[in-house]
Amino acid sequence: MKDSIINLKEVWKIYELGKISLEVLKSVSLKIEKGDFAIILGPSGSGKSTLLNIVSCLDVPTSGKIFMEGEDVSGLSEDELARVRGKKIGFVFQQFNLLSHLSALENVVLPTVFQGTPREEAEKRAKELLSSVGLGERMKHRPAELSGGEKQRVAISRALINNPSIIVADEPTGNVDSKTGKNIMEILKNLNEKEGRTVIVVTHDTELQKFANKVVKIKDGEIEK
Amino acid sequence: MNIEYFKIALRNLRARSLRSWLTILGIVIGIFLVVSLLSLSEGLRESVMRELRMMGGDMVMVFPGDASDMMTTMIGGMELKDRDIDAIKRARGVETVVEMPFEGSTVRHEQSTETSLIYGVDFERALPILRDDMGWDVTKGELPRPGRREIMVGALVPQDVFPNMRPGDTVTVRGRSFTVSGILRSLGNRQDDLAIALDLQDFREVTGRREGTPLAMARIEPGYDVSEVVKNIEESLAESAIRRADEEEASFSVMSSDTVTEMVDSIMGTIQLAVVAFASIAILVGGIGIMNTMYTSVKERTKEIGILKAVGAKRKDIISIFLFESGIIGIIGGIGGVFLGVLLAVSVETYFSEAHPVFYLEAHISIWLILFGLLFSFFVGCLSGFFPARQASKMQPVDSLRYE
Repeated sequence: MKDSIINLKEVWKIYELGKISLEVLKSVSLKIEKGDFAIILGPSGSGKSTLLNIVSCLDVPTSGKIFMEGEDVSGLSEDELARVRGKKIGFVFQQFNLLSHLSALENVVLPTVFQGTPREEAEKRAKELLSSVGLGERMKHRPAELSGGEKQRVAISRALINNPSIIVADEPTGNVDSKTGKNIMEILKNLNEKEGRTVIVVTHDTELQKFANKVVKIKDGEIEK
Repeated sequence: MNIEYFKIALRNLRARSLRSWLTILGIVIGIFLVVSLLSLSEGLRESVMRELRMMGGDMVMVFPGDASDMMTTMIGGMELKDRDIDAIKRARGVETVVEMPFEGSTVRHEQSTETSLIYGVDFERALPILRDDMGWDVTKGELPRPGRREIMVGALVPQDVFPNMRPGDTVTVRGRSFTVSGILRSLGNRQDDLAIALDLQDFREVTGRREGTPLAMARIEPGYDVSEVVKNIEESLAESAIRRADEEEASFSVMSSDTVTEMVDSIMGTIQLAVVAFASIAILVGGIGIMNTMYTSVKERTKEIGILKAVGAKRKDIISIFLFESGIIGIIGGIGGVFLGVLLAVSVETYFSEAHPVFYLEAHISIWLILFGLLFSFFVGCLSGFFPARQASKMQPVDSLRYE
């Protein structure tokens, strides 16, 4: 039996907008096992990004429990959540979210600064990661000088720099053409199969289901059975 | 402390270099004012105090006018008349009275003509007092003798005013010839060292001023208490004024050297306080500039803050980065301000020592003032950056990431 790496129990997320309560997640329970490649699939406004934010400790639920590798993270302070994100989770965003004034290499090294990793060690690893995604020659370039696919590969390298057990990706293929998108998904699949990392991808693109061993469909804040 | 945060902060500042430099300029101006004005006012204080310290403890100074309104006395050209000098002489406990009138005048030596400060001293009565009580002495030649049309020149005259002037040379002051008897040892003050001393009688003759001096010094007879003699002189001057009841009531200030020292110290202290107060306003404005820049920066970089938090930055990490940025603005502003302040102070000093023969202003640049300038600017930078930094650190990662 595989260990459950993420376990959500009856998670609610309610936004209070003046007098209106907006229930974005309604009693969501979800288990993701170690080594899963999970796709969270749903139309826009379904609550899938909110779910991903909660799963990845970027946001906290209104009620319910979240366990990450057995640790209850639902009651953690902001700084403790930052610690969990820094050590256990790597992020890949639709908008890449690279810092424009930093080079590709500096962007990849950035998360290590907050973990206190020695600079030399961090740079060595960053160079290895960038080379492994075919960007060995583009390390000194800034994001503006890179194509969409290259930016996303820099973002993946950044997600891996602290050696996290979980990679979360929010619409990682949303801003690249379909060929590049496929290439990005293959890199993620590779990380899942060869390195045993748990990958969670949020998308509205049903095409991506084929990469996953677990598909979670969400609609109106509820998981479809 | 993390060197990486420092590097991140530096890169962020460079990414917005024009704005960073403008903000730095605000601090430069404030620190520049503090350093330059305090250096110069402290220099002025030191040079006045040094001169006062050379004056013996048994000397009393008498000025016309009220000491609390010295500017009026100086600018208004108020003088002690002969009858006032006589009144001082009559006071109990006064041994000798020295008058020292002065005036700017053209002086010719060989082929060159320059403007110098000339002053009259009674060579017979006053010179021994100046020698014993105020440390006057000659480095070359001899002290001048009365009635022989001799003059004595300040230590810097042969260097800066009339090169190669030697004892025995002839000097013409307003058409009358004098012989240089000696070169005076430095009195510790450039203004005095550039002056030329004439016998009081010669001075009166040359200038055409029969009587009057803006300042007189009285030496106390041994065995008398200074404050007692000060009182005696005041009474004697007051009596003499009452006798001439038809005239306006004259006022005088009689002060012992200690009182003068205290007064000058207090006046200079007030000036320095005012200087610091005005410069502080400039620094405050600079600090507000930093705060404004940092708040703008936090707003602009909302998304960046979200990214930093997503990849593991804690609140203190965000605060550190922003504080480093504002601290760097502060310290660079401080370095610039100290540099320009010292430059101005030194330039003013050089200008007055080279171009201005009469008035002398020296700069006192202390290491403490420089350290204070640097530390204070860093402190202002950090303080101004603190609230924006705290605001940045409180941003929620999800909201920040969504910000466009």
